[in-house]
Amino acid sequence: MQLTKSSRLTLPRRSLTRTNPRLIFAAGTVAAFVAIPLIYIFVRAAEADLAAWERLLQARLWLLMGNTLTLVLAVTAGALLTGTGMAWLTERTDLPGRKVFRWMLALPLAIPPYIGAIVHLTLLRPRGGLIPLALEALFGRPVPLPAPVGFWGATFVLTLFTFPYVYLLAGAAFRSLHANLEEASRTLGRTPWQTFWGVTLPAMQPGLMAGTLLVALDILAEYGTVALLRYETFSSAIFIQLSGRYDRSAASILSGVLVCIAVFFLWLELRFRGRARFTQMESSWRPAPLTLLGYWRLPALLTVLLVVSASLLVPLAALLTWSIQALQDSQTLTGAFRTGSQGFGNYVWNSLWTATLAAAIAVLLSLPIAIYSVRHAGRSSLIISRLCQVGYAIPGVVIALSLVMLINRGLPFLYATSFVIVIAYVLRHMPQAVRSSESAFHQLSPAIEDAARTLGRTPLQTFFQVTLRLILPGLLAGGALVFLTSLKELPATLLLRPAGFDTLAVRAWIWATDGYYLQAAPAALLLVLAAILPLSFLLRREKVFR
Amino acid sequence: MTTLDVQHLTRQFISTHYPAVNDISLQLEDGEILALVGPSGCGKTTTLRLIAGLEHPDSGLICLNGKTLASDVEFIPPERRGIGLVFQDHALFPHLTVYENIAFGLYRQKPSAVRGTVSEMLRLVDMEMLANRYPYELSGGERQRVALARALAPRPLLLLLDEPFSSLDADLRVEVREQVRGILKSMHTSVIFVTHDQEEALYMGDRLAVFQHGRMEQIGTPEQIFHSPATRFVAEFIGASDFLPGLPVSGGFQTEVGLLSQTVPVNGSKSVEVALRADDVDFELSDSGNAIIVERFFRGPANLYRLRLDSGQVLHAIKDHTVIIPVGERARVYITARHPLMVFQ
Repeated sequence: MQLTKSSRLTLPRRSLTRTNPRLIFAAGTVAAFVAIPLIYIFVRAAEADLAAWERLLQARLWLLMGNTLTLVLAVTAGALLTGTGMAWLTERTDLPGRKVFRWMLALPLAIPPYIGAIVHLTLLRPRGGLIPLALEALFGRPVPLPAPVGFWGATFVLTLFTFPYVYLLAGAAFRSLHANLEEASRTLGRTPWQTFWGVTLPAMQPGLMAGTLLVALDILAEYGTVALLRYETFSSAIFIQLSGRYDRSAASILSGVLVCIAVFFLWLELRFRGRARFTQMESSWRPAPLTLLGYWRLPALLTVLLVVSASLLVPLAALLTWSIQALQDSQTLTGAFRTGSQGFGNYVWNSLWTATLAAAIAVLLSLPIAIYSVRHAGRSSLIISRLCQVGYAIPGVVIALSLVMLINRGLPFLYATSFVIVIAYVLRHMPQAVRSSESAFHQLSPAIEDAARTLGRTPLQTFFQVTLRLILPGLLAGGALVFLTSLKELPATLLLRPAGFDTLAVRAWIWATDGYYLQAAPAALLLVLAAILPLSFLLRREKVFR
Repeated sequence: MTTLDVQHLTRQFISTHYPAVNDISLQLEDGEILALVGPSGCGKTTTLRLIAGLEHPDSGLICLNGKTLASDVEFIPPERRGIGLVFQDHALFPHLTVYENIAFGLYRQKPSAVRGTVSEMLRLVDMEMLANRYPYELSGGERQRVALARALAPRPLLLLLDEPFSSLDADLRVEVREQVRGILKSMHTSVIFVTHDQEEALYMGDRLAVFQHGRMEQIGTPEQIFHSPATRFVAEFIGASDFLPGLPVSGGFQTEVGLLSQTVPVNGSKSVEVALRADDVDFELSDSGNAIIVERFFRGPANLYRLRLDSGQVLHAIKDHTVIIPVGERARVYITARHPLMVFQ
């Protein structure tokens, strides 16, 4: 089965019959580079002595697994509901202000969840939160409010800042879905409601599932939010083992289990993503008619406003207000403009250069993978391409653990240099670059390259004069994605950074965990603003965001 | 003079049972247009790509003007072959204008020479007004002409065309292929082109090579191929023959529709098949006939009738466009051909 499938792929897409051995070598090297940390974690977990396993199995492991999986389940359900609902309202109904809301519902991706958690915690904390204080002043007595901590707090915050993954994929699915499909269902006697549940949603299912599983992988990797809101998951437990107790054996075991769960989700995601390709637009595509909301316009509008406020407007407004307040404080102000390793300029610079370098390296490394897997599709190239996806399944804390152990053993000269952070970003975010590069190559007909060859260009000339020119937008998109996610990365940066090396994310986090919420605001705001730039570049690649 | 010499060319893909190209040998004369024709998947496009250098042959020899391009020990990459290729989907560079597309193959020449050649090509394909357009701003026929001009501009020793008209609408196709044939003949270019459309092959080709299952069944002029198909497949593919069983008797073959008086040397007394095209067969209404009229297809200038003989054998016959006979009537079918018919054993 697998053989016939891959051999059918071999025929049409190949441009030159013999694969250049140098290309295979380059692709294989990259895949090995990406896969080593993962394999090393399993090796260390297997090496750990039985006593350590027993200790963990008796007490922590099951608790952590229960905690982690219930959080994943709750957040993915929330994100699926919010994302699909919001996408339906902005793509398929006459909701007023759809065009603006499309942007506002996608932009929370620029806000790292832990920053969102800081904002909501500052506002809603039972003791000392700004809203409880204001209410107490207003009514003269404390008003009981739900506190954004623990399981429900983490679910609330993580849903708010991860649902855009589902929203974007569901929106694209709603847009690309053939109107004929729904019309056919209506002519076969189904009501609009039956059509939505029986035809529209099932047709979108692969895209929705892929988005949901990306959220699940994100939750598995999330450290900052759960640590701040005091809900223990695998990621936060590993972080504590690593930074506090420094028990690498226990950390390796926990990491091994966590990565197993993540690899399972990734495997599911790859399966659904493969199927999602079949729902692409055809040439006869035309948009589906809009549903008229009628009396429901106001409730729908209020719901969207509520989501947009909680996930974007309130965090941005709060960060802006606190930044202004913080800068009025003379001590913070001088801190902001101090030069040297403790100044704001330095945090910005560190954030930018690490993320940019990681993006450049990831895109460069993704090229041989994409060429090999798209232009020489077959079994071995598929395996290599899939190996390069494992970064999605290795949470930042696990990458950090693996790198610390590997560098101690093999590359001590890299120990405690900022370059290790860049390596971690590349390993973790490589899949995004590989996916973007692969889809760029998929859109380029091999006949175009063949044409350049028959017109007298060598393979290298063809690559630089034709191929590169045409895939550049796709490569830039991959780079922007890696830049964006590297900018937001927290746990690996915290664990791997050399002493005194601060990025915006690290600074915002440290100040916030130390309780200096106001002081954290300018760093957090700058981080969000820096993340909005690549995000809006990515969104603008889709026609509806122009 | 022979331009291209292909000897025993073979290419096998790992995934298929028989070779995609199986022991193909052919020669192309200077200035000749050769059409490779056959059903899809017959190996004609792979043959073209092997000649262009976009595929490596497993065995065989390709020589152009006496120079070896591919053999068991040599492989000249496509960029050093001097062979032009027009792609099925045209493969115009989307980031370059019409002018830049045509100039792409001329990059080793002086700018003044490039300008001269490009404007000559633009004139040749009648695209002077659209030189600064981008491919997405062109119609299908215009893209086709740019693709041709781009391939011709470097003055290739040999031009290959891969289903060049398949992406065009039916009415445009006839017009464009007349233009293209005129341009190619005026430049005296040696051409191999691939098509699955027999009518196009008959129109465009000085000679035809008919392919099936990676093998070349027959090569010859359109008349040779049409009049004396070498195999049953060629007779069926070119000119849509029906095959009527017959028994060798003295003086000809006894068939269901009567004696075919034609002596062809055949092996013993085994039954044969006579290839009949619609213009070789006629019928008249007759209650005591040997067939029933099953269907009538109105073809504009003619009516094509499908007839089922009492044995179940199906034959086709054409009559004038004004002769309309109701379906379901019985008819007497007979052979009217005044030329020898092909007999296959």
